[in-house]
Amino acid sequence: MRTPAFNIHTPSTLDEAVETARKLADKEMEFDWISGGTDLIPNYKWGINPKSNVISLAAVEEIGGISAFRIGAMARLQDIVESVEVHPLISEAAASVASIMIRRSGTLGGNLCLDTRCFWLNQSETWRRSIDYCHKCDEGTGADCRVIPNQNELCVATYQGDLAPALICLGAVVHLASSTGRREMPLEQFFQEDGITRNVLKNGEIITHVELPESSSSVVGSYQKLRQREAWDFPEGGVAFAVHLDEKGNISGLNMASTGFESIPRSHKDLVDSIDTGAEWGLEAKRLGVELKRTVRPVLNTWFPPSYRKKMASVLAKRAMEEAAKRVTSA
Amino acid sequence: MSKDKKEMVGYRQQPGKLDFTRPGSGGSSPISEKRGSARIPESQGGELPQPWGPHRHDGLVTGRVIGKRTPLIDSKWKVTGQAVYGDDVRLPGEIIGRLVRTDRHYARVLSIDASEAESLPGVLGIATGEDAPHAFGVLPVTKDEHAMAVEKVRHIGDIVACVAAEDEDTARLAANSIRIEYENLDPIFDIKDGLKDSDNPIHDRGRYHIGESNVQKRVFQKFGRIQSIGDSIASHESSWTFKGVNHGFTEPHAVVAHWDPRGRLTLYTPQQVPHYVHRALADVLEIPMHQINVYRTFVGGGFGGKSDPFPHEMCAAILARKTGRPVRITFDREEVFWTNRGRHPSKISMAIHADDEGRFSGIETDALIDGGGFASFGHVTTYYNGVLHTAPYEIGAFHYTGARVWTNKPASGAMRGHGAVNSRCAVEVGIDDISEKLGVDPIDLRLANLLPPNSATITGFRITSMGMRECLERVRTESGWDEKFRKMPLGKGIGVGCGFFISGSGLPIHWDPNKFPHATVHLKIDMDGGVTIHTGAADIGQGSDTVVAQSVAEVLGLPMDMIRIRSRESDTSPVDLGSYSSRVTFMNANAAVSAAMQIRSELIKAASEITGADEKRIVIGDRRVFSKDDPSIGISYLEALHKAQEDRGALVASGSYRTPPMGKMHKGAAAGLAPAYSFSAYVAEVDVDVETGKIKVEKVWAAHDCGKALNPLSVEGQIIGSCHMGLGQVISEEMRYGRTGNLLNPDLLGYKIPTVHEMPEVVPIIVESNDPEGPFGAKEAGEGPLLPILPAVCNAVYDAIGVRIQELPMTPDKIYRAVESTCRKGGFESPLDLPSPRLDQTPLSKILKERGARHSIRDRERRLKSEPEAYHNGALFGNDPEIPPEELDPDWQVQVLPDEEYLEAPGLAGSAWLHTERRHRGEGA
Repeated sequence: MRTPAFNIHTPSTLDEAVETARKLADKEMEFDWISGGTDLIPNYKWGINPKSNVISLAAVEEIGGISAFRIGAMARLQDIVESVEVHPLISEAAASVASIMIRRSGTLGGNLCLDTRCFWLNQSETWRRSIDYCHKCDEGTGADCRVIPNQNELCVATYQGDLAPALICLGAVVHLASSTGRREMPLEQFFQEDGITRNVLKNGEIITHVELPESSSSVVGSYQKLRQREAWDFPEGGVAFAVHLDEKGNISGLNMASTGFESIPRSHKDLVDSIDTGAEWGLEAKRLGVELKRTVRPVLNTWFPPSYRKKMASVLAKRAMEEAAKRVTSA
Repeated sequence: MSKDKKEMVGYRQQPGKLDFTRPGSGGSSPISEKRGSARIPESQGGELPQPWGPHRHDGLVTGRVIGKRTPLIDSKWKVTGQAVYGDDVRLPGEIIGRLVRTDRHYARVLSIDASEAESLPGVLGIATGEDAPHAFGVLPVTKDEHAMAVEKVRHIGDIVACVAAEDEDTARLAANSIRIEYENLDPIFDIKDGLKDSDNPIHDRGRYHIGESNVQKRVFQKFGRIQSIGDSIASHESSWTFKGVNHGFTEPHAVVAHWDPRGRLTLYTPQQVPHYVHRALADVLEIPMHQINVYRTFVGGGFGGKSDPFPHEMCAAILARKTGRPVRITFDREEVFWTNRGRHPSKISMAIHADDEGRFSGIETDALIDGGGFASFGHVTTYYNGVLHTAPYEIGAFHYTGARVWTNKPASGAMRGHGAVNSRCAVEVGIDDISEKLGVDPIDLRLANLLPPNSATITGFRITSMGMRECLERVRTESGWDEKFRKMPLGKGIGVGCGFFISGSGLPIHWDPNKFPHATVHLKIDMDGGVTIHTGAADIGQGSDTVVAQSVAEVLGLPMDMIRIRSRESDTSPVDLGSYSSRVTFMNANAAVSAAMQIRSELIKAASEITGADEKRIVIGDRRVFSKDDPSIGISYLEALHKAQEDRGALVASGSYRTPPMGKMHKGAAAGLAPAYSFSAYVAEVDVDVETGKIKVEKVWAAHDCGKALNPLSVEGQIIGSCHMGLGQVISEEMRYGRTGNLLNPDLLGYKIPTVHEMPEVVPIIVESNDPEGPFGAKEAGEGPLLPILPAVCNAVYDAIGVRIQELPMTPDKIYRAVESTCRKGGFESPLDLPSPRLDQTPLSKILKERGARHSIRDRERRLKSEPEAYHNGALFGNDPEIPPEELDPDWQVQVLPDEEYLEAPGLAGSAWLHTERRHRGEGA
């Protein structure tokens, strides 16, 4: 495998970074951002949408840093795992990512912007040529989707980032910057249905950091991940469940979010709203599982068949809720 | 030096920091002392116990290294990064080759336009199928491969052309700019479709073509009294699907070809079998073998996947010849999967029958195996799927039908446990099921049905040493089996599985020139006293260099650092048939011992001349040659050596090994014949998450009978490594093909090799049955240890959740599906309510235990007899043990062709026999 040649730009401030992007855009030159590179470079090697310009964020210190309520986009995943300040639910999710070597390189921003994955896409150029390419990387052929043919509309490649559901449950707000200014939004609104579009980022825009409400410190949660092997593998499904507690330690709210089932992670606030916190927790957990199973729409493009992933959505939700409850009791 | 360090033979710190051996010193003491008797066998007056009797090599034991934990002699090169693997070879003026691989499943190549590539600056040479019209293949009977496609491409990734350029980027660019025009042909992917007639069979075998189908090889075998199956009281029937798996070695294939100024070719390649590449290169390049030097680099794992001569090796040589420059080709991981030669995807039907005395009255196996696009080792694999499960049990009848078909997928071939793994899994799971139906403990059932040592199997294989019983007894005790089996709660389970494997194939693949040895070893000792070993045995990480060095060091009484190995180049190494079929320790070490014996007698003769002591009473100890009776009468090794070298200089010796004649005469009788066989029994303990179907193998007790552990460290490594590799095939590894026939996971993220998290604790248990023909009693330990882990885990999963899955890998989704269906059938609302299986022992239990105890005594007697009377399979069923049953009873006749009756309702693979070969239809040239 050879990484195709590209020009690397190494801005040292955020302003410089977004300015570099603007200049490239003005010249109608295509570019990618690179932080840890653990996802981008393998894709480049496989010839999946490589660009001739890459802007490295490695030297942009102002978008790094880790504290209880603010995690910079350039925070390395392993630093998040090891941080004593970060909410345990985030550390738990981060610790489940890939392997320690990848976590030492990979970043929060990169994980949130993780490209969607699909058996028909994450392959070499020769391989993809043998199926006449696909919608997401069509090499100018106008190729159809290979998972659900004859629609040519939606890309159903799967989002397999681990951090998003944990952050969504905690009420995280994502901050973005570009040469035209800054904006922020709740994380669940950052993602946009479609395996190609993936999120709201405009050309030249990046995540600077994620902010957590102070109330998140009184949240107890659990992240449950489905995969074949306990290292390396992306989530075939992941569910985070959070219990918000008031000052007296009573339950003041619940939240749940999932990843790995569809093209974007989703908040399932609507499902948890129907939980009767006074009822028997185990039964409610089971019911919640069934609800989630009905909601998620996995397709056949990852290791496990979609029927199984759907069924496991219910187990993951049930276990996340039960585990969270256990942690509430022990907290 | 501390005592511990002394035990670690061959281990040395940096040069100069530790005392190196002084060759003439007479070892640790200036005068001879009596040899440490702890390692001298009882038969030689020493204290080393020999519960399995004496061995013909006992007199050669000096107590130096055999049986000691010895780090591999090449390990320091590896851990310091100085080992030169295929892609590490750098030659002056080297250029880069790149293979042009097809994006078609199956197509006729109409034209190749390389004009654009040729015009690229930096492109130095392009070759196509026209440059190499000669076919080659690992087996002489099925040469069906070409360097590059001639006429047709047979799977995605098949090679059409190759290019050489100044650098890799240019080579890749050039490869992508070659335009190929194809006529698509209808591909087949489903193994069953391979059995049907086709308009365009993937290969044409001429007059030997089977029908117009894609059947490459078919086997029909019937042994024993099939009629007795009718008397069985319990039967197991199952229908298995095994997905194909790949070796997953660390180092991708890489090769460098160089034509030297004299016009000779040197090919640098990480090969398991350099000799076959040597032969194939001569054929393809049309030059005599003596004009080729095959240089085996360090091999970053082989496991069978680097034992064929490969097209890319031919391509590198062709490009180097065209360009006059050394050419290097290195694979991407995806190309490794396209080259494959991994374990065959298989469909195996298994039926096992047991009679009222708990004897196996019959085994009926039907195995259809998916060969992919080429023959590779498939001819042999088709036999191995049957014949390698005719032991260790005594059976009343054996009926095997096997067929291998071509499909438009990467070729399957030989992989650790070649041909034996899948059907062994089916047999051992079948025995577990039978024992449940009989209401007996599966270990009791096995112990009451073992063939004894020094016996013959139903197919006529010669069993010599046999440690199966000890393996089973050891794992039973150490795992706490009797307290756990069928007694643990839902989700926790324990299971047993056994294995049986060849220790070197009895017949070589190439048997020309006639009576050529399987292995030859040369020794050269000059005045410095160091011993140079020349051997062609390919060290592929398994430690063959070390074991050969150990054998020589032991016989000559020398420390390991006085031995150096030259095993890389065919120019200097005697021909060796390569590292496959678990033959190297057995055959190469035997050859090494025989060479060392010659040197030994020269040293003894010299010592006798100097000291006047009787040659017969002289022994070799630690760097001294001295009288057994009075150690003070002796000289140092170097003195003896220099005496022996008078007027002639360096001592040289050549030793070789060839298997004795053995086996029956029927068609296919040679497949599976080996000079010795290894045995193993594993117990696995698992934890199954019934809600998700995930398996965690917690612990494995792994007993393997390797005859004699020449290097226990290495044997344990092989056992643990085998557990990991076999575990992959049970729980997660598969080459997965999508609905379009594309291989979906040709990379190490998608191809799920277990990680350290999935790896259980393995307790290696070495059983030493002292094989009469093996070097110092040794047999293989490289492949056999893989077999039992699969069924042990399958059986443990059943013990845990009461569900049997007949498909590997047992990924969580498959387990969960089976759990769901069991719940549905049993009316259980949740998987957590499932009952876990329990054993109610029947009276047969007692009968089996008694028979097992009787046989245990029988076996002990037989193994200690120097010339035990014959024992043929069938004695358990009342036949005369000393006469092959077919000589007395026509019902036991061997049948190798199907009859009309069988063809009326054949098995799946057996249906391959519905076709008639072209020659029998009067067709074909």
